[in-house]
Amino acid sequence: MSKVELFPAPPKRWTRFFEWFCNEVYFEELQGDLEERYFRNCGRFGVRKSKAIYRKEILRMFRPSVIKKIKTQYQLNNSAMYKNYLMVAFRNLSRNKLFSSINIVGLAVSMAVGLLAITFVSEIHSYDQFHDFKSDIYRINNLRINIGRSTTDYATTSLLMGRRLQEESTNFDMIVPIFNGFNGDLIHDEKHFQIKGQYAGEDFLNLFTFPLLSGNPELALSEPFTVLITEELAIKIFNATDVVGEVLEKNEELYTITGVLKNPPLTSHIKFDAIASLKTFEAKPSPRRTRILNDWGTMWSSYVYGRLSKNSNLQRAQEELDRIAQEENAKVEHFRIEPHMESLTDIFPGDGKNNQMSIVMPKRSINQVVILALIVLFSACFNYTNLSIARSLRRAKEVGVRKVVGAKKAQLYFQFILEAILVSVLALVIAFFLFKLIRPGFIELNSYTLSTTTLELTPKIYLYFSIFALLIGFLAGTLPALLMSKIKTIHVLKGISGRSSSKGFNLRRVIVGLQFTLSVGFVILVGLAQKQYKYALNFDLGYTTDNIVNIYLDGRDPSLLSTELKKIPGVESLSTIYFLHSTGTLNSDYVSNIQGTDSVITYNNYIDYDYLDNMNHKIIAGQNFTADGPANQAIVTESLLQKLSLGNPAEAIGKEFKFYNQNRLIVGVVENFHYGTIFNTLQPYAFILDRDREMYYMNVKLNGNDILGTMDKIEKAWTQLYPEEEFYATFYSDAIERTYSGISSSIKTFGLLAFVAISISLLGLLGIAVYTTQSRIKEITIRKVLGASLNNLVLLLSKNFLIIFLISSVVAIPLAYSLFKSLVLRNIEYRISVGFWELAGEALIIIIIALLTIGSQTFRAAKSSPAVNLRDE
Amino acid sequence: MKGTYLGEFQEIVLLTIIVLNENAYGVTIQDEIEKRTNRTVSRGALHTALTRLDEKGFITSIYGGATSERGGRRKRYYQVTNLGKQALQEARSIRDELWSQVPKFAFQNI
Repeated sequence: MSKVELFPAPPKRWTRFFEWFCNEVYFEELQGDLEERYFRNCGRFGVRKSKAIYRKEILRMFRPSVIKKIKTQYQLNNSAMYKNYLMVAFRNLSRNKLFSSINIVGLAVSMAVGLLAITFVSEIHSYDQFHDFKSDIYRINNLRINIGRSTTDYATTSLLMGRRLQEESTNFDMIVPIFNGFNGDLIHDEKHFQIKGQYAGEDFLNLFTFPLLSGNPELALSEPFTVLITEELAIKIFNATDVVGEVLEKNEELYTITGVLKNPPLTSHIKFDAIASLKTFEAKPSPRRTRILNDWGTMWSSYVYGRLSKNSNLQRAQEELDRIAQEENAKVEHFRIEPHMESLTDIFPGDGKNNQMSIVMPKRSINQVVILALIVLFSACFNYTNLSIARSLRRAKEVGVRKVVGAKKAQLYFQFILEAILVSVLALVIAFFLFKLIRPGFIELNSYTLSTTTLELTPKIYLYFSIFALLIGFLAGTLPALLMSKIKTIHVLKGISGRSSSKGFNLRRVIVGLQFTLSVGFVILVGLAQKQYKYALNFDLGYTTDNIVNIYLDGRDPSLLSTELKKIPGVESLSTIYFLHSTGTLNSDYVSNIQGTDSVITYNNYIDYDYLDNMNHKIIAGQNFTADGPANQAIVTESLLQKLSLGNPAEAIGKEFKFYNQNRLIVGVVENFHYGTIFNTLQPYAFILDRDREMYYMNVKLNGNDILGTMDKIEKAWTQLYPEEEFYATFYSDAIERTYSGISSSIKTFGLLAFVAISISLLGLLGIAVYTTQSRIKEITIRKVLGASLNNLVLLLSKNFLIIFLISSVVAIPLAYSLFKSLVLRNIEYRISVGFWELAGEALIIIIIALLTIGSQTFRAAKSSPAVNLRDE
Repeated sequence: MKGTYLGEFQEIVLLTIIVLNENAYGVTIQDEIEKRTNRTVSRGALHTALTRLDEKGFITSIYGGATSERGGRRKRYYQVTNLGKQALQEARSIRDELWSQVPKFAFQNI
């Protein structure tokens, strides 16, 4: 018996490791020697020791004379080879038209989404990057703590803060206060021009980089009643840009133009048509202006920007802010303000602060877009990977021959990556046109994108696009390229290909499964969100909103309008209210029992005598407000009675409670109703009668006949009364719909992407089905000849897919449901109930569609004539 | 001139190959050196020396038969070239000359 059979082979892993680093010229000799000695040592010292010697020997092989020479460059002229790669790639594309088009179209669709995401994200991140001092500019933001009630983050601060910083700050070398309120009509030559703009401190142009076309930047805003206008506005008003010295009228004040600005970039979070001098407020004070300038608590539309001086730092500046805040907070009751600093470049995209100067996109929605785009992209890359692996058998011969001729693994890898990149570049071209097509739709997707993005294409974006195409090609091509370059020459040339194919087939199943899981998950998510949205819209509010039109009164006396409207035949009844219910606006105050103990947060609203009847509120005890009753009447919900322990509804009538400093008399009790949105739980509620209160909305109930005609008449009545004023009227149901526009825009986004994802995976599925049936056509034919029925054959071909679909659905359903719970339902109080069939039903639909896709192929294969398929052999 | 210098280990390797005559390949050379010098030599170190000698043209090699003990890998047999033999002689004559100059009393007290 020879030693080789007596002892185990030397450690394989070490041998492979040695092979990996050893120069191939010496490997045979050296490994042979090591192995010979190993077996001899086994006989002398035993297996364990000789294995140790073997390992030690290999480690000591680690020396320059043994290690592979690292080739840094090929000296050859390889252009012919590259040409050949390209030619072969094109030939392959044109030979398999179906597969190529599935690949290219699938990639193109998803890349269009990717391009959208790239343009979108790069635009968002270019916000406010054009300012020279961008890294030194900070905005002061207030965290306002209403003691005992709420804490809210605002992007604003008081102008008092700005003035104190200007006077005493040692950390900021420039302060610019801005009041966001130069809006409305500018009048020139009796023509009105609607504008948006701000009042700003005199250093506005020194701090921010908004270049002037004409005028002196040093003096631009240094006098009261001066204004800077943009080029665009100048052309609109004067049809010229050299208009320094002209005068514009606004609210009976005359402003002199001291400069014309180049149109500010779209990527500025400060958006304006005109900037007026804030000094105007001091020069012509009014109670309101004085309050805005000097009141610590009036901070709702004023902004302070400062430039941190070079010899200061964030911490010292923050300490200074804290000191000022401490001094001012001491002078006020009920609230406290904590100022914070936010870098100019961090303002957009934002983290959800209130009262931004213009709409600021929340970071969350950007992440959403990016993640969804990535998912769709991966799905399309999977298609490419999958179909390429499926076809790799056909190309195995090519790989084998190339290897025999001398191609290295790395070269083959490169060849297949190049092919993938070629496909992705072709897809990019189509994607680019698709992108242009869907761009307007994307911008209109929600209010944020509409007002903040233009998706303009810049050279930088084109560069990103090209890098993107390369990356996608690389991503999609890596796996097939790796598998192809690993194909063993000897197997290919001998014709053994079954082994490598079964391995690839498993991988393909996993990929199909993954894709399918994504599709099913998307569809379930969208379906659930859609249901929740419908539920929110058709939610039983406890009062009726059918055929109600709300007219925005803005504090005008409703009696004039109501007399006019009552004359219109289509109008059934009218009422007025302070603000609308169920549209997101809420007002809450502390209410307590008459002894002043037991205080409880109570939401409330002011209504007139007709409101409850008009809106069909159910009065369960007592009566409506009466015109001849006392001034302190109130109508409350049942839940308030419980909280204040006022007994049952009948007992509560005539009792009083404390609201602010007044005693309120309960004259009626209404059933609980949903004054808030599906995001709020029901709290105690009170309707308050306040005969002097200005009402903001008039609710007009139409009787349902000729609604359009009635609306026309209502508008005419309004224009007759207020010829100068805009008429704002919306149906209640539209107002509620707008309240949930966040949900609806996510549904639109998700829906679009779900559609794309499903289309892509169905395309992929089609490709795989075609491939499977083609490669098994002989088997099918023989089965058929031997007597298999059509059903047998279709089942045979679809069985594997069906298993994949079922497994994917089982994975996708709980995943989608938990995502839905954590993403959508997170702060929703009133939720839809989700049953098994709601989830499984959607999955079933997708499975059926997928089976039909496959069925179309398997059915055709099963029906094809045996004579045709067997003839060629 | 690079190449004429013969290191101590290289000299031993060369001599060993000559001693082993027809049967000089990796394993036998390694064993022979270990046996004679009573020190362990790694195959890697031997390879480095062989490569150097080959670069200098002192040895040549041919592939021989494979055995199952070697996992089917061929042996590489080494032979010393005339140039190698010349170098050995040169090294020896330098040494002999030096030895002849050594005074006799230098080794008396060992």
